[in-house]
Amino acid sequence: MPATAASGSQACVVEIRRVRKRFADLIVLDDCSLTAQEGEILTLLGSSGCGKTTLLRCIAGFLKPDAGEIRIDGRDTVPVPVNRRPVGVVFQSYALFPHLTVANNVAYGLKMRGAPVEEIRERVAKALATVSLSGFEERYPSQLSGGQQQRVAIARVLVLEPRVLLLDEPFNALDAKLRGSMQVELRQLIKRLGITAIFVTHDQEEALAMSDRIAVMRAGRIEQLGTPEDIFDRPQTAYVADFVGASNFWEARAASGQITLPSGQIVATKLDGDVSLLIRPHNLALSSAGGSAWNGRIISRRHVGALMEYEVEAGGTRPLRIAALRDVEAASLSTGEAVSINLRDPTACMAYPRP
Amino acid sequence: MRGSDWLDRLGIGALIGVALFSLALLLLPAVIVVIMSFDTRGYISFPPAGFTFDWYARLFNQPVLMGAMWTSIKVGVYVTVLCIALGVPTALACARGDFRGAAGLSVFVLLPHMVPGIVLGVAVLFAGALFGIGPSIWLQSISLAVYVMAVMVRTVMARLQKLDPLLEQAASNLGATRWQSFRTITLPLLMPAILAGAVFTFIEGFDNLSVTIFTHGYRDRPLPVELLTIVQNTNSPLVAAVSSVQILLAILALLAISATIGLDRVND
Repeated sequence: MPATAASGSQACVVEIRRVRKRFADLIVLDDCSLTAQEGEILTLLGSSGCGKTTLLRCIAGFLKPDAGEIRIDGRDTVPVPVNRRPVGVVFQSYALFPHLTVANNVAYGLKMRGAPVEEIRERVAKALATVSLSGFEERYPSQLSGGQQQRVAIARVLVLEPRVLLLDEPFNALDAKLRGSMQVELRQLIKRLGITAIFVTHDQEEALAMSDRIAVMRAGRIEQLGTPEDIFDRPQTAYVADFVGASNFWEARAASGQITLPSGQIVATKLDGDVSLLIRPHNLALSSAGGSAWNGRIISRRHVGALMEYEVEAGGTRPLRIAALRDVEAASLSTGEAVSINLRDPTACMAYPRP
Repeated sequence: MRGSDWLDRLGIGALIGVALFSLALLLLPAVIVVIMSFDTRGYISFPPAGFTFDWYARLFNQPVLMGAMWTSIKVGVYVTVLCIALGVPTALACARGDFRGAAGLSVFVLLPHMVPGIVLGVAVLFAGALFGIGPSIWLQSISLAVYVMAVMVRTVMARLQKLDPLLEQAASNLGATRWQSFRTITLPLLMPAILAGAVFTFIEGFDNLSVTIFTHGYRDRPLPVELLTIVQNTNSPLVAAVSSVQILLAILALLAISATIGLDRVND
């Protein structure tokens, strides 16, 4: 049976079905299933040790799963040796060959396939042009900046026209400023080429910025698979809510489908009993005392880009994080001041059962 | 500030002093031997009474010494070839091998170098008899290969441990077979270490005495053994001349490394 296409009209390029992997006593992948569609950027997001890199290495063929299937274009690739898989890996350290020039690094795969010299020259030139590195042919990797090295690593796999591009934390080695621009650049490049990409990161901001869909992984399982909007706005579990984006968990009791906040505002829920309510920092509004029945005191404030972020002691188990745009009045409140709190949008809250 | 400046200078001065003293200790014996080889008198003595190339002329006119030198060069080459052929795979197995005893193997290979040369020489002599190989240029080469294998294995292993294992994975991801990735990636990157190891194993094969004295062939007497005989029986500056040639060969070997791969990369 061919791979079952997931919802949508696009073809399913990678299908991972019930993959398990253990190292000695440690279960690293526990029944992982997911699909990547044609031209999609799918991100495996999770903290270290969640199994995301192991899954990537299984797809590349550096590791063999203990059970389960990894299908590429409907064909089971688990028995296919590493060097025959239609998969290109961009390593975290880039793993460029230090003794070969840029041109020879990019030509490497074609040479191993025994491509004719003339064809190699043309395709290398084209691949280097794609990553804007024409003119760097004779340089050695050590003579390039981190960003340029990354582009060589990308050109080196793109020249082979792989079905799937695998990227293992490719921005880790870059400094923060360059990282942002390389994220935009890489996303545009992948989209322009229409290539399917699976991308591993522990950085939730990077995942939100780069991906069409995100698989949040935890302890060898996929905790939630969805678009960045799904993951950020509608996290299915408290773990995902906590891992992606800044969050407050307000402990409350749900009764007859309602959670009542100290401000008197009501959040609808299907749960009953003890719950944790996810409230993003930007979903809370601060005003000077008396603005609502939900009162608190500012513990600290810090500048975060265009936002002012407050920590407010407001009767919960932990202080609330509240973000205000710098140009509004609320951004001028000072530490120690008594304040009132209001929820902006009750429908943007998510409730989770509390054990 | 001035005080610490002054202390800094004193420290640097002391450091330079110690460095020069150590350098002198290392170089002086060799320099004295070379100087003595030009002495006009017929016995070894310092300082020399005159200057002559006589001893070198005699050296090159002595078929026994020239034959011994030729034997030692051959032994150096055999030892080097054996150490590359066996040492590089051993280093790969020790550094990359995923089998029980990989760690034990590397210790085992290093062991002969820890044993006194004389002990190893005697051991190989008896082991050779067991396999029907008597003292000869072959037994000598084998015994020295066993003795200095450690140098090759350690140099190559050190280099291997600094190589990013991801390079080989990248190569296989790009379509290379294991052999292709070894030939095109690993081997070229190991080359500096192999060359450095080769120079040291060659020098050891060329001038080792302690192991050689038990295992060399009586018809193919190598240079160190021949020199020992001369020193025991005569006192002529001829020995100094032969030693000078040996020193020159060692310097040439090191120059060859620095010209091709650079001395600083030997331990890289």
